[in-house]
Amino acid sequence: MGIQEQYRKEAAELLSSGEVKLVIGYGEGSTAERRRPVFVRSAEYVSRLVLDGSCVANLSSYLVPEGLLSDGKKVAVFLKPDGIRSINILAAESQLDPEQVVILGFDIEGGQAAPLPGRKASDFTALIGSLKSAGLSPELQKDADRLEQMSASERFGYWKEQFSKCIKCYACRQVCPMCYCRRCIVDVNQPQWINTSSHTLGNFEWNIIRAFHLAGRCVSCGGCDRSCPVNIPLRLINHRMAKEALDTFGHYAGESAEQQPVLATFRQEDPETFIL
Amino acid sequence: MSEPFEPKIVAFVCTYCTYAGADLAGTSRMKYASNVRIVRLPCTGRISPMFILKALQKGADGVLVSGCHPGDCHFAQGNYHARRRWTVFRALLAFTGIPEERIKFSWISAAEGAKFTELINGITGQIRTLGPFEQYQELQKVIETQSTY
Ligand code: SF4
Ligand code: SF4
Repeated sequence: MGIQEQYRKEAAELLSSGEVKLVIGYGEGSTAERRRPVFVRSAEYVSRLVLDGSCVANLSSYLVPEGLLSDGKKVAVFLKPDGIRSINILAAESQLDPEQVVILGFDIEGGQAAPLPGRKASDFTALIGSLKSAGLSPELQKDADRLEQMSASERFGYWKEQFSKCIKCYACRQVCPMCYCRRCIVDVNQPQWINTSSHTLGNFEWNIIRAFHLAGRCVSCGGCDRSCPVNIPLRLINHRMAKEALDTFGHYAGESAEQQPVLATFRQEDPETFIL
Repeated sequence: MSEPFEPKIVAFVCTYCTYAGADLAGTSRMKYASNVRIVRLPCTGRISPMFILKALQKGADGVLVSGCHPGDCHFAQGNYHARRRWTVFRALLAFTGIPEERIKFSWISAAEGAKFTELINGITGQIRTLGPFEQYQELQKVIETQSTY
């Protein structure tokens, strides 16, 4: 039995036994290689679930908004390791109870979906630990290095050009599982912190604050980067923040549901060489 | 003849240490550059990086953020939290090419009026040499002059 059949069967069992009220998975998209989220509430529809190498989106984004979990019932969701880390962060930030999330875990290896054993976020702690020791993406690091080698004003020029393309559609925010605020800072208008029109200065402020609010929380699922209609390399800026959290504070986002958020904690011996 | 460039510097300070330090500088009649505009806040923990961006947006050429020395925070931990945030925020500013030398951080206690005076004079001198923060101010000018926005 292939992984897709196996997971459809598990989804059907979870639904018909009443263990979960809903399964969030992937279905056919608008083109052959695209997948879109599918919400299955009854075992008879599990044939709509697809699982293959194109299932890249982090579906944990659908758990928190709209009070989906507020009735205390369980929901099953297809998640890659990045999505499992998101569950841990959401739990650590008191946004959900990890006991309510049944994980249908998988990873993509060589373009194919492969099963990951485990049901609860805590079952994957060893796996996430090994991802932490493996370190952040060397490819992204190479691109980030290229930027870091530039002078500050060249870098400013690079981002000015990139951010000037931003149309403030907020797709990067909507897709992100960590962007669950009911009222985003960019929507606050008393006082108006960020220029809301899509001119370059406002875009600078928006993108800087978006990245800052995700520092030590982003799991590099790539959702924002893929959804940006004008192809701003948001992955680079996210990567730089993840690197700072890891190198300076030993923080790898989403290690466990008990992990303290990196910017809501401190150590007395934290470095401060830059403070006069 | 053109006037020499006088930078605008915004200092976000906590009321318990740095503000008191600035006050001491004043009552001791120490002279410091008048380029600095002080914004007093309850604690460095209350100083959001948004404030720094807002100051730059509104035309500051330099920003100083200052509070109590570690261990001296009136609220015990505010400055430790702030320090982590600054570390991450600085990395972000550097990565996006916003000049680090325009954004300074310091610990100044209520007894350090002299340190406050020296620091303000030093920063003002440095930023005067750097010149106006044109990169940002040009972007702001675009907003103000183009009706399409
Ligand atoms: S910031 Fe982007 S890459 Fe990071 S968790 Fe959010 S959507 Fe994923
Ligand atoms: S998705 Fe891209 S264009 Fe849309 S708001 Fe985010 S950065 Fe801007």
